[in-house]
Amino acid sequence: MNRFDYDIAESLDAAIQAQDGGSVYKAGGMDLLDLMKEGVLQPGRVVSLHRVPDLAVIEVREDGLRIGALATLADLGRNEALRARYGALHTAAAHAATPQVRERATLGGNLCQRPRCWYYRNIEFNCLKKGGGTCYAYDGENQYHAIFGVGPCYIVHPSNCAPALVAMDAVFHLQGKNGAREVPARDFFVSPRERLDAENVLAPDEALTHVHVPVRPEQSATIELREKQSFDWPLVIASVARVQGRWRVCLGAVAPVPWVAEAAEALLEDKEITPELAAEAGEAAADGANPMSGNAYKVKLVKTAVKRALLRASGEEARA
Amino acid sequence: MTWQPDNRVALENDGARLEIVDKITGKAKYTTDYYPEGMLWAGYLRCPYGKARLRGADIDAARAIPGVLEAEITREEGRYAGERMGHVCAESREALERARRAVAMQWDIETPSIDLTRARTPFEEVADPPNQPRIARALGGATYIHEQEYETQVQTHTCLEPHIGLVDYRGDHALAWGSTQGTFSFRNELAEALDLSPDAVEFNCEHVGGGFGSKFGMGAEGELAARMSKKYGRPCRVGLDRKEEHLDAGLRPGSRQYMRAGVNAEGELQAARIHTWGSVGFSGGGGGVSNPGRYRFGIVGKSHEDVHLNSGFPRAMRSPGHPQGMFAVELFLDEVAAALDIDPIDIRRANDRDDVRKAMLDAGAGLIGWERRQPNGAGAGTLKRGFGIGVADWMNMPGAATVDLDLFPNGAVEVRSGAQDIGTGFRTLLADCVASVLGAPRDRIKAKVGRSSYPPGPASGGSVTSRFAAPKAMGAARRAREALLELVAEEWGVAPDALDIAGGRVTGPGQTMDWAEACGLIPEDRLAFRVNDNDEFWRPPTSSQTVQFVELTVDVETGIVRVEKVVALQEVGLPVNRHACENQITGGVIQGLSFALFENRLLSRHNGAMLNPNMDMYKIAGPADVPEIVTVLWRSQEDPAVNSLGEPPVIPTPGAIACAVYNAIGVPVRSLPITPDKVLAALDEKGAQA
Repeated sequence: MNRFDYDIAESLDAAIQAQDGGSVYKAGGMDLLDLMKEGVLQPGRVVSLHRVPDLAVIEVREDGLRIGALATLADLGRNEALRARYGALHTAAAHAATPQVRERATLGGNLCQRPRCWYYRNIEFNCLKKGGGTCYAYDGENQYHAIFGVGPCYIVHPSNCAPALVAMDAVFHLQGKNGAREVPARDFFVSPRERLDAENVLAPDEALTHVHVPVRPEQSATIELREKQSFDWPLVIASVARVQGRWRVCLGAVAPVPWVAEAAEALLEDKEITPELAAEAGEAAADGANPMSGNAYKVKLVKTAVKRALLRASGEEARA
Repeated sequence: MTWQPDNRVALENDGARLEIVDKITGKAKYTTDYYPEGMLWAGYLRCPYGKARLRGADIDAARAIPGVLEAEITREEGRYAGERMGHVCAESREALERARRAVAMQWDIETPSIDLTRARTPFEEVADPPNQPRIARALGGATYIHEQEYETQVQTHTCLEPHIGLVDYRGDHALAWGSTQGTFSFRNELAEALDLSPDAVEFNCEHVGGGFGSKFGMGAEGELAARMSKKYGRPCRVGLDRKEEHLDAGLRPGSRQYMRAGVNAEGELQAARIHTWGSVGFSGGGGGVSNPGRYRFGIVGKSHEDVHLNSGFPRAMRSPGHPQGMFAVELFLDEVAAALDIDPIDIRRANDRDDVRKAMLDAGAGLIGWERRQPNGAGAGTLKRGFGIGVADWMNMPGAATVDLDLFPNGAVEVRSGAQDIGTGFRTLLADCVASVLGAPRDRIKAKVGRSSYPPGPASGGSVTSRFAAPKAMGAARRAREALLELVAEEWGVAPDALDIAGGRVTGPGQTMDWAEACGLIPEDRLAFRVNDNDEFWRPPTSSQTVQFVELTVDVETGIVRVEKVVALQEVGLPVNRHACENQITGGVIQGLSFALFENRLLSRHNGAMLNPNMDMYKIAGPADVPEIVTVLWRSQEDPAVNSLGEPPVIPTPGAIACAVYNAIGVPVRSLPITPDKVLAALDEKGAQA
């Protein structure tokens, strides 16, 4: 790890002002420290957001949901109102990583963490994302890589919580030196075709401060499929939500961004879920999948995860 | 007069691990916790790629970092990712890290050889074994011949406490610490490296965070620490970080296993042709596979090839060669059973050579609910249930150890062995052996281990530590008991053999004396005993038998395997401490499960670097992956000695899981780890055939 300055900001304004060219924000540090230990990131200054007031707020109201970026996944998991009304997000937060990690990991960190691609994470590979000329995953070990929206870089977005927030039409609040702005969750994440060095629209000095879900979904659910049940990155995430009657379907861990399954949404519209419809929507969600040598199995997982998420959200979940 | 160890005390002793509070509170000091004054930090410069030639490096930049004492590059050709190319020695960890980065080694990367299947000699080109004609004749008379190939992956050691050595050379003597499975082997290698007499090296490994075969000698870590300490006359530590631990601290080699065997109508194996390949480093060996094993295969022709790859080296890993071999053997047997329509238990009965295991098969079948097992792939629904069996054994031979025991007038008991407690509970075993035989209260017994100044004991390999040392601890306790009873008998004016001690109380005709009072009769500073013979506490060599049953589910829409229950029947001889015994068994099951379903060292086909050299991408079973584990401490002998327990419980689990997956989905997955992609591919293949 490189030598760096550590700045504990007492206010959001101070945190933003402390940003210079070589700085990064630190929330829980779960992702940042790993990247620094490997030398993938070598920031000159780390600005901690921990003491910034109001960033850990969780407000579950009738007219919507407001969560600060520094709310921990454990706090979200313990929130009964969230469990009852925003099941898709609750499941994603409450089952990520391990209990120990969740006590430290934040919602903001979960949304802004860097990809878990092993070519990106290891310094032995000067991959596209790090400014090199090659994506090693394309003809390499790609069992955990993207099946949608692929190229030129084949990462998957690793966030557990992002698909749920996209499905629930959340709005992200950002703040930087040029002031505050609001970005719909669907537009927050950017594909490698637009930008290789980052996975979202944040400017270097900008911080994600709050997440707002303006309309409470009538129904929602998340299904994560993982190899291991403890401390593992999902192979596929499916988050579904019914917002003002219409179904939203967003996938995680299958594309460089949280992947909106448009064909499934078009099929579902505002229909009541039946087992047959859920299965059809699962098939539709796999539309356009373009797997590589080692990850075709994820196509089947997408179909299963979407089907099961719809059945769970609609109370139709029938256990095999 | 002779005493048997109090089996009742031993069996029913549920006492906690002696050092448990120290470990939980952090009071227990591991090597990494020692910071002697003036300590230097040294570490290796490594080749990051599988096959590469050093084109350039800025060694002067490394030397220019403040606090760097020396930086050297001694090799130019890297043959595996993690190979040691040189070293840096510095005043601080930060200077060491900065120097390692500043060297900025540049490489010409060649295509590494990392694929066992590509690099091996194809079976068609392997020479026939000398008994091939006999095998062919026997197979000619077989009712059914089965032929298959099996595959296992590389499992890295990645010890929870990474490899580390800390040496403080002081001219005529040295102090040293290390994480090791062999107090005396580490000490002896250090002494040689420092050109000191072994008695001039005081070595300490009181607490060790895991060692499964990769920590016998001082290793590259102790070697560099010794060299730098001697050169600079200051203490020096060399410890691996997690990435180095994955790359260069040893592994269970990968395997391919070809099997062709024939059975008669009763399912009895008649003959087998078996060839195995093991993946090893760029030179040397260590890739052996224990296939066949445990069952009677009839006439066997076995051959093996160690295949050299641009990979780290195998190091013995908890029953080396056995879990991978028995995975193939058990699954092969179940495939034969299915072809003949025989129950997996019956085909094992027909071919097992051990009567104890046959009894265990019956008991285990009852405990797992074998009657609920359906024919392979016959279950309804999405979540398919499967059952499987694995077996193993381990030899019990006696060996050398010495144990000291001191009995003090205030009632304190101290038992000492220089052998190490690598996490197995060796301290606890010593104390409980003494409690059983001496009759002392357990809370008055202190056990000290893991220092070279204590009496010699074995390195922990081959599951020997307990079985070598326990008879000596019991013998020392017996002598202490005799001496104490003589003192009490004299005090009471009765014959010693009229007296007894149990639970810290001496009883005789019509009177009793408590422990402290009895020990108060000791006329000297202490009574001291040293025992290095087995006395009456050893039994003729035996083998410890193992049978495991697995129940699991496979989700056929996701390929995800969840192990629900493992029944682990384990012969342990005399089980000294129930917690410690069960701990060994459950630990073996979990490690076997982790190998069967998750762990997999992956190398890049582009440059041979390891893709998952950390603890989140290198997948190890976590709490939610651990099933209900029912342990059964099996007693087949009337009056057994303490037997092997470390290695046997890890052997059957992968095979039992593979068999249960086969039972669940009706198609075998012949490659470990059994991940969702392989399960789904096997189901697709089955669907295509149907």
